[in-house]
Amino acid sequence: MDCATCERLAGAYVDGELSAGEVAAVEDALPGCPRCVQLVEQARHLRGLLRELPVETAPPLLRARIAREVRRLPSASPWQWPRLAALAASLVLAIGTGWLTASSFIANDREQQELMAAYVRIGASDHPVDVASSDRHAVKPWFAGRIDYAPPVHDLTGEGFPLEGARIDVVDGRKVALLVYRHNQHRIALVTWPARDTSPVSVASSQRDGFAMASWRHAGFELRATSDLAPSELARFALAIERAMDADR
Amino acid sequence: MSDAPNPDDTSRERFRMIVLPHLDAAYRLSRWLTRDASKAQDLTQDAVLRALRYFHAFHGEQARAWLLRIVRNTWLDGRRTERTTETLDAAEQVAADTPDPEQGAIAGDRRQIVARALSSLPQPLREILVLREIEDLSYKQIAEVLDMPIGTVMSRLARAREKLAETLVASLGRSEHGLRDL
Repeated sequence: MDCATCERLAGAYVDGELSAGEVAAVEDALPGCPRCVQLVEQARHLRGLLRELPVETAPPLLRARIAREVRRLPSASPWQWPRLAALAASLVLAIGTGWLTASSFIANDREQQELMAAYVRIGASDHPVDVASSDRHAVKPWFAGRIDYAPPVHDLTGEGFPLEGARIDVVDGRKVALLVYRHNQHRIALVTWPARDTSPVSVASSQRDGFAMASWRHAGFELRATSDLAPSELARFALAIERAMDADR
Repeated sequence: MSDAPNPDDTSRERFRMIVLPHLDAAYRLSRWLTRDASKAQDLTQDAVLRALRYFHAFHGEQARAWLLRIVRNTWLDGRRTERTTETLDAAEQVAADTPDPEQGAIAGDRRQIVARALSSLPQPLREILVLREIEDLSYKQIAEVLDMPIGTVMSRLARAREKLAETLVASLGRSEHGLRDL
């Protein structure tokens, strides 16, 4: 065995990842290769040092919190795929129908399901957003030519909700702007479209299948936010959006 | 909450039995990735709940590697926007906040030096050492967690060891000192 091979295998030798034949070959070669002997010793020594580090365990409170969430949170399988299928079907039906026809303000059941499906898609996708930017001047123009209205776009980093990017989704058969915000490790999906009735409606919060949802109407837009945040945090987000919209006017 | 009968109690129970035993490993990896105790808790929780949502996609692979992969992906997703400020404070914390009365001051110092050196490594080198030496994963499992070929695992581990040894020797201050002095 030449030294380059032996050097390459030294780590795997210490890690017990070589075949019996390779082990024998390395052991034959070692006496003639000071560099490889050094590598083997170094790897063993480092292992000893690293294994001396205190072994941490999950704090009891975290463990309890997770156990509680696991009891509460529904997994995606029971509803995600049927909803996606329904969404695809509604997409087919909706071709050509244009605007939303929801007459009542409170987000209806199917709309809620579609918003949740859109939210789950963000988490499930390798590309949660089609345009990744916290710069509203990059995100807002991106919608041009992709949907038939100009959605409100604001970065709320100052309020603790940085803008992550945007994508197009479909709700109730209509192509809508979906903005993705982040709060700590949580994401928020904000869907907006122009309101038919422009009188403002204040934020209504609801919870469904472990997700918090907020729906409201402000400055001529229908707004729907979905997240795995606590409802109070989502309401705070909704108010921050309103303030940013007001600042624009 | 949905008032539909939940068809999922079985899979939830399976999740509790198969995945939750690896919570400590998930927390440890979170800790070394975030280098911050409270961020590590958030990350662990997000990752475990994400794992539950996608548990239907789990087909009896190694549960620990599967969960650790989700921890890492969750962290990468989070980091894409939230650039964490990387300081050495967290590293010092790792060593400092775990008192061990049985160990003398010398061993304590040594562990602090090692923890700080590991914490200061670039993330790709840090995570692979954690998976190999602290979590004791095989190359095959590491390849699964990091989504890379086994050949890359081998070469990256070699690089990580080299870099850790360099950092440790440098932290001893004087050039005539070697790793052996630790």
